[in-house]
Amino acid sequence: MDKLKSTLQSLVQPLLAVLVGLLVGAIAILIVGGDILETYREMWKGAFGSFYFLTNTLARATPIILVGLGVALAFRAGFFNMGSEGQMVLGALSAALTALYIPGPGWVKIIAAFAAAVVVAGLWSALAGWLDSKFGMNLLITTLLLNYIATLFAGYMVAYPFKDRSGSAALSQTEMIDASVMLPKLFQGMTVHVGFIIAIVATLALHFFINSTTKGYEIRMLGGNPLFASYGGVSRGKLMVMSMFISGAFAGLAGVSEVLGTQYRFLDGSLTSANYAWSGIMATLLANSNPIGTAIASLLLAALQTGGMGVERNTDVPLEISSIIQAVLILFISAKFTISFIKRKKAGAKDGSAV
Amino acid sequence: MLLEMDSITKSYGLVRANQNVNFNLRKGEVHALIGENGAGKTTLMRILYGMESPTSGQIKIDGKPVTFHDPTDAIKHKIGMVHQHFMLFPAFSIAENIVIGGEPKKGIVFDRKQAIEQTIALSEQYGMPVDPKKKVADCSLGMQQRVEILKVLYQGAETIILDEPTGVLTPLEVKELLASIKALTAKGKSFIIISHKLSEIMEVSDRITVLRDGVVTGTVNASETNEEQLSRMMVGRELIKLERSEAKIGKPVLELNDVTIVGNKTKPLLEDVQFNVHEGEIVGVAGISGNGQSELLQAISGLMPIDRGTIALQEKNITGASVKMIRESGLAHIPEDRYLWGVSKEATVSDNGIMGHLSRTSKRGMLDGKAIRTLVSGWVERFGIKTGSLHTKAQYLSGGNLQKLIVAREIAQQTPFLIAAEPTRGVDVGAMEIIHGELLKRRDEGAAILLVSSELTEIMKLSDRILVMYEGKVVGELDAATATEEQISLLMAGGKAVGQA
Repeated sequence: MDKLKSTLQSLVQPLLAVLVGLLVGAIAILIVGGDILETYREMWKGAFGSFYFLTNTLARATPIILVGLGVALAFRAGFFNMGSEGQMVLGALSAALTALYIPGPGWVKIIAAFAAAVVVAGLWSALAGWLDSKFGMNLLITTLLLNYIATLFAGYMVAYPFKDRSGSAALSQTEMIDASVMLPKLFQGMTVHVGFIIAIVATLALHFFINSTTKGYEIRMLGGNPLFASYGGVSRGKLMVMSMFISGAFAGLAGVSEVLGTQYRFLDGSLTSANYAWSGIMATLLANSNPIGTAIASLLLAALQTGGMGVERNTDVPLEISSIIQAVLILFISAKFTISFIKRKKAGAKDGSAV
Repeated sequence: MLLEMDSITKSYGLVRANQNVNFNLRKGEVHALIGENGAGKTTLMRILYGMESPTSGQIKIDGKPVTFHDPTDAIKHKIGMVHQHFMLFPAFSIAENIVIGGEPKKGIVFDRKQAIEQTIALSEQYGMPVDPKKKVADCSLGMQQRVEILKVLYQGAETIILDEPTGVLTPLEVKELLASIKALTAKGKSFIIISHKLSEIMEVSDRITVLRDGVVTGTVNASETNEEQLSRMMVGRELIKLERSEAKIGKPVLELNDVTIVGNKTKPLLEDVQFNVHEGEIVGVAGISGNGQSELLQAISGLMPIDRGTIALQEKNITGASVKMIRESGLAHIPEDRYLWGVSKEATVSDNGIMGHLSRTSKRGMLDGKAIRTLVSGWVERFGIKTGSLHTKAQYLSGGNLQKLIVAREIAQQTPFLIAAEPTRGVDVGAMEIIHGELLKRRDEGAAILLVSSELTEIMKLSDRILVMYEGKVVGELDAATATEEQISLLMAGGKAVGQA
């Protein structure tokens, strides 16, 4: 009963935030001289208006959900994993290269590509965890900086050694993967692919892992009060490396599902310019790191983005209207953060002065 | 009557925090308000101080009915309150903290010089010396409390409410506080003191009102009552006298040898600490807080590395071992600061309860919901933990109930060695009785217990042997049967060991 309640509560906040976002968006539409109702109707149509647009939204939500889940796990353990972007990119690159160069039948390549993405992204993320637990290097900073290394490294790899030289295009990208490795689409002619099913299963799996396993319990306690966890015999260092590995592995899943399900190759910049990683982080923050809430918030954000494209296609209001709404969401999140930061500060001060 | 509260009732939804409470105060009197946790003492005082409005009932000052909307109204009627958690600005000086809200001004500028002069005048008038320029952050808790009282006096209070004033004070500071209270009443001030420390109440009060479950169970003159009667009125039944059987001392369970933690101050945090705790005995560690007790406990439980020496548990060397390994070797630990170490406030009662019990409450890496419910609800029943459900977040439990949960969890480990640090801090008489009983039971079952407490009475009541710590060293070891409070106090303050005197 209480669990259901807390799940519902985790939904209230993102919905409220989106509502306020839409209100502020309405003001912005008025300022540029658009029609509020028409704009939002177009936005709705662009996101859910037809089966095609709906599946388009689900396809966009897929990597956001997967990234969001990974971030959610790290947050629950108390770690600010800001490195999803780099983890996802490295996962995508390793998936593409594995799919291209591993011999064997299609299903072997698929499994190998998934394994490579999960392991590489996981290790990349765990590296940051290890640096923190071993040398006290701040995880938030290292994960942020590791993003640059990962994305630039991946860019180099497809600009030089593994560049696709078959076509005439001068794009930095790998060759296209074999049709046997491509993830099947869920519906003929629609963009949404099996990756979406993987994302839903992953959501439920993570929900179960966090709430019903002993490791999940330890992660929750570590995130709730690290001193309590260490007092109870939970080893922070080991758990940190482990949860960062899983967190990165989720980002890797996002990367591999994009490569095998949508783009069929690794194209430099395609994952970063779509802002999947930051949308995923935003979804997690909106949903307070609840896995199911994160999936729903990811869907909302994806809908906002695909809806924004619809607005641009059919009205004079620019695509940026979606960015304005997202900006309000970010404001909401930072307000929440500031409040909890102040609370923590206060509590800390009280403890401090009690000496 | 200076002040009367007539049939005050306060309901929160269905919960009646106060029910037809009558309470009054004469000029120059100390009137104590006692009761268990959740009996409604603080609610009643929050009503008097304008922080809550009563559901029904009337407050009269000098016989005239008044209504308070907020504390400013109460302050206008010369009522001041010193809260349990001090409300001072640590970064500001004592003088600045005292004059806040009524700052002396020169034009529109704060007149710091006059603030200091007024503070000195005030502190001399009431015989409570302070250094007005000192930062509050650098003051001891006793000094901070003095600042709180002066602040209230500066606001012109004639009636002063003190909420649990002695909870955080050292024995010496308590004595000073009680003396100050007596001096102030001689100058015509009146006090209402909320407390559950009966000995202090008996010493300082003129009258005592007892609350139980929101209802007044009686108002008595301090001169016509005793601690037993008050306990009965608070708890609603006879308290069981603790049966203390003869200690059956066995082999040593915990052995410390020359344990030293250097730290980064001029003096080591722990210096050559050496003692054993045997099967079937409770060893009490007395000392003013901050003399190395925390470090000692953290060193034993593996939370702080030591620089020299060895620690053995059950004849196994656990120096430098992980917390997990030490716990598996037979340690359970009631931590001294329950919010810092003992719980995760955001987590549920059952989540907090199973820490350290995972082997019993999980199967193949999965939490076993049924086993968890059986285990934790067993404790809730046995210790009378008041909680909405097992899924209530720990932060919604009162401090005393949370403490009971922690004690239950650690005692249930059934380990050969148990650390009990401040096991009854902030809990009421009834809960204290349960916790003390459980600790003695573990001792009689053959467990070795290391008890650390800032309450001398608790140390004297439970211990078989008493160690006194001062500046990171064990400065005395006494047999509990023959030790006196004076001996221990002297050692705690850094005096010479008795016997050499």
